[in-house]
Amino acid sequence: SADFPSQATGDVRIAANFVTHAPPGEFNEVFNDVRLLLNNDNLLREGAAHAFAQYNMDQFTPVKLDGSEESVLITEHGDLGQGRFFDPRKRVSFRFDHLRKEASDPQPYEGETALRSWRDACDEALSAYVKEHYPTGVCTVYGKTVDGQQTIIACIEGHQFQPKNFWNGRCRSEWKFTISQSSAQVVGVLKIQVHYYEDGNVQLVSHKEVEESIVVTNETQTAKEFVKIIENAENDYQTAISENYQTMSDTTFKALRRQLPVTRTKIDWNKILSYKIGKEMQNA
Amino acid sequence: VRVIVRVCACDCVRVIVCVPSLCEDLLSSVDQPLKIARDKVVGKDYLLCDYNRDGDSYRCSTEYRDLYFEGGVSSVYLWDLDHGFAGVILIKKAGDGSKKIKGCWDSIHVVEVQVRAGAPLPVQTGINNVNCFYLPNLGNMDMENKIRSTLNEIYFGKTKDIVNGLRSIESLPDNQKYRQLQRELSQVLTQRQIYID
Repeated sequence: SADFPSQATGDVRIAANFVTHAPPGEFNEVFNDVRLLLNNDNLLREGAAHAFAQYNMDQFTPVKLDGSEESVLITEHGDLGQGRFFDPRKRVSFRFDHLRKEASDPQPYEGETALRSWRDACDEALSAYVKEHYPTGVCTVYGKTVDGQQTIIACIEGHQFQPKNFWNGRCRSEWKFTISQSSAQVVGVLKIQVHYYEDGNVQLVSHKEVEESIVVTNETQTAKEFVKIIENAENDYQTAISENYQTMSDTTFKALRRQLPVTRTKIDWNKILSYKIGKEMQNA
Repeated sequence: VRVIVRVCACDCVRVIVCVPSLCEDLLSSVDQPLKIARDKVVGKDYLLCDYNRDGDSYRCSTEYRDLYFEGGVSSVYLWDLDHGFAGVILIKKAGDGSKKIKGCWDSIHVVEVQVRAGAPLPVQTGINNVNCFYLPNLGNMDMENKIRSTLNEIYFGKTKDIVNGLRSIESLPDNQKYRQLQRELSQVLTQRQIYID
């Protein structure tokens, strides 16, 4: 990689940081602004390329392969290096352009055949669940050996981008469990981010970690249990967020500024004025 | 469940590091959270902002602040104009940190009062306190109430609706239900209009 003076290196690190924190659906806007500020396209492209890739993998960016109705998610689990990712359902690897968000050059990719039946069963059960609960949801399920353990990794993503109405939102969840033993732990991370910026600027950024035990029997039964755990946890999470809003409105927000004074009537400024003048006349 | 409210103020500093020439423009157009300082002589807290001038401070009517904020810190800075006066009213209230919730309310109200030549002066006997005269007019500019209602109903309400549009707790068994959900969401969102005069 090229040699840049230290000031420029610091600046490009800041630029990269802005880009990785772009709210869902706003990557292009942040990228264009950062490009103007930095005013050095070569530096930006080379110094921040890792940031563009990191952003897409963090966000579980969905992409459609040519001629396919279904999308696959860009995640760290599908990263093959050299700008290539794989789709475990279609058994295909492809090149991914992180700025254009386009897939190209598909090649057959077998993945780990020993885990195929487990992966397929979980994918089928999970896809049915996602259709039932996510209006715009996409899921990708991997069967991989991680740290010597045969692991199922399920990724779910759903987003709505409505920049014309000044809002964007995305939820992501990632669920894992190992199939090596009859008793395992299902570990999940759920994330929601919403940005609403009409005449203002409000963001909701939330995440939750979940752990539940599961009994590993056969592919079909275990997949069913797995999805049941996911459904319950994600329903609970969504309910909790709604309840948080109510709490926030009833207590915290009120603790910062009440809608009405404790007296339940608005201030009578003329009363305060005559009281003040009266007091000063007394003291004069 | 952890819910984090984003604070974007530190991003200002990052932009200034990259492009120092933007420093003045950025700091004058982006409001930073108000800082509290302590007046050791009087033993009271006051708020810092661009408009601070030594010796020109004036303590805000604490009745308003205490009734609406039940505490907090406020400061008012006034300065003369050619035909009247202007001022900034600052209020800062931090949540007490109970129930694992953190929050802070910062208000910056900038006011300009023009006094037209020949206008009748308030009748006062031996008192030189023009500020009192203007108090009812300034106090009744109910911007804060409007903004607070807007925050509560629209901003928080809308983000909650968006979350519920991303995922449904109830099953969506077929396309029909999905389209229905989309329609309902659009309706609810267009109904939540913002009116700030």
